Amino acid sequence: MLVLTAMGFVLIAARLVFLQVIERKDLSRRAERQQERLMKLDPKRGTIYDRMGRELAVSLDVESVYGVPSEVEDPRAVAGRLARVLSQDPRDLQRKLTGERQFVWISRRVEPAKAERAKAVDPGAIGLTSEARRFYPKRALAGSVLGFTDIDNRGLEGVELQYDDLLRGVDGWILAEKDAKGRTVFPGGHGFQYRLPEPGRDLVLTVDEVVQHIADKELDRGLADSKARGGICIVMNPHNGAILALSVRTAGRGRGAFNPNDPQHYRPDEWRNRAVTDAYEPGSIFKAITAAAALEERVVQPREQFDCSAGSIHVADRVIKDAHQNGVLTFADVIAESSNVGTIKVAQRLGKAKLAKYIEAFGFGRRTGVDLPGEIPGIFRDHRLWSGVSLATISIGQEIGVTPIQMAAAYGAIANGGTLLRPYVVAEVRGRGNEEGTRTALVAAGRVASPETCTTLQRILQKAVESGTGQKAKPAGYTAAGKTGTAQKIDPRTGRYSKDDYVSSFVGFTPAGAPKLVILVMLDSPVGVVWGGSVAAPVFRAVAEQSLAYLQVPPDDLGGRMLLVTR
Amino acid sequence: MSTRAGHIGSVPLPRAGHGNLRWVVIAAVVVVVSMFVVGGKAQVMRLGYQIDELEKQKRELERANRALTIEASSLAAPARVEEIAVKRFGMVRPAKENIVVVKRRQTAAPPQAGAPKGARSAGER
Repeated sequence: MLVLTAMGFVLIAARLVFLQVIERKDLSRRAERQQERLMKLDPKRGTIYDRMGRELAVSLDVESVYGVPSEVEDPRAVAGRLARVLSQDPRDLQRKLTGERQFVWISRRVEPAKAERAKAVDPGAIGLTSEARRFYPKRALAGSVLGFTDIDNRGLEGVELQYDDLLRGVDGWILAEKDAKGRTVFPGGHGFQYRLPEPGRDLVLTVDEVVQHIADKELDRGLADSKARGGICIVMNPHNGAILALSVRTAGRGRGAFNPNDPQHYRPDEWRNRAVTDAYEPGSIFKAITAAAALEERVVQPREQFDCSAGSIHVADRVIKDAHQNGVLTFADVIAESSNVGTIKVAQRLGKAKLAKYIEAFGFGRRTGVDLPGEIPGIFRDHRLWSGVSLATISIGQEIGVTPIQMAAAYGAIANGGTLLRPYVVAEVRGRGNEEGTRTALVAAGRVASPETCTTLQRILQKAVESGTGQKAKPAGYTAAGKTGTAQKIDPRTGRYSKDDYVSSFVGFTPAGAPKLVILVMLDSPVGVVWGGSVAAPVFRAVAEQSLAYLQVPPDDLGGRMLLVTR
Repeated sequence: MSTRAGHIGSVPLPRAGHGNLRWVVIAAVVVVVSMFVVGGKAQVMRLGYQIDELEKQKRELERANRALTIEASSLAAPARVEEIAVKRFGMVRPAKENIVVVKRRQTAAPPQAGAPKGARSAGER
């Protein structure tokens, strides 16, 4: 008996030594794991402002309801009462509340009163926690620039995605303890371990909400008038590349413009910012690039005459026609009247290598570097791979794919005297607290042409507005310069240019003498009248008139109705 | 009734009585100190609850403030302002004919230092 008792004590002692000495580390780690609960603290996402400090994207704390299934005594009854409060499926709630888990989401981001009523159903098992929800108070305004976030506040599109790291901030945490019933206890005192979350940075955009509204409104009007499938309007400062407005619209879906407050109501292709993600054949607006190359290389003079009376030109095995019959035109008129024949003759003087050199210098075939996600470089083949007809077709804007942002940047270079600038939408990343913010520096991508060439080209493009194909683009009270484009689209069924599907555009700058704005308007598949000068130019005019007045740019073309005063 | 005169002497308290009083005093001091300590603790707790309540109110007010900021921002949306201006107040953009641009004439350089007082530059009227 004594021996047995002694053996028992020895066994117990051995077990104690095993648990307390040999396995001590492992067991205490396991106990800590069971007793501790790491609670994540979400940081406040940064606010996005327009260039005048008006809120475009703001986060607000709202209540989310969670449940502790292990604490629910009667999941069916609790689920039934919760379902009535939260208008949810009781079976789904019952499934969530059944089991031994410590945490399940019941409903996220609900109204405060509703959340309180949900908690009152079973205060021991139902809890509330604050979560930030993203609001876009201006609704669809600049929706494709801003993008949106998911339910966990991660950026999914636009600036929200591009600057997610800065906007998001740094997560915080609290090391809490669990009591015997699994309830969370905050220990307090010296052993209390936590890290407070660091709020995200605020961003100030280059976008101006009023100019953006003007662009949205006039593009919508243009879409309605032309019955186009979609459209893009970009308003840019040619002197620094700042984008004041970028409007992307898809018509005919009955849901209005993309509203980032409800991204789930739109198809993923409507979330995309097609001004940077999609390439299209620009058509005649590209002739300005050919003209810049020809003037810079001095292969042509503005007053030099070209015989375009034939109305067509043979290139390799193709015949390329003018849209309407022209006679003998000066080079300036070739551009102003948008003659394909004249432009091709000029391009033939340049040759493939020189034209390709300028196309690349103007930034085509590579990303502009705009701070928006998903930018593509467009489509531009090496000139050594061009076919016999490529020189001619590329010079008039076919056989090349450009993004609207590339085209706006290229016209910006013509407007500012020859410097290609990187377009951008974020002007400043604000610092935390007293920290100094970071302003976006102007980035020049290179010089494309001399100031003299640009001045000559500006006059030619002004002529296109005053007496050429772009007369409907002329803003009241202001001079303007620009170019119309009506590009045939490729018919996916035949693989050939469609006879009734076009992209109509107008791109230019205003006032012509001292440009303040570059404006690009592109309408996809207008119905009926398809000419860029008829459907896109009026949108340019309306956007220019209202934007210049809002920006307090004095009219430069009021026909002598100016009053001189002396201070 | 006989009366005895003389010094009656002091009435010594029993030894045990001295000890009791001391304990009573100590106990009273302990009670008073404890009351202070407990009272202080209770005060700290009360203030803690008040701070907690005020923090909660502060958070609520901050949230309400942000919600109102969002609402104000939403109400100031250019599309809404334009709609009210056009539909309710019948406002229109001025026609080209109604615009007169007031252009400031270039004035000459300011007078040099030391110029006589009241002297006017060439461009001034």
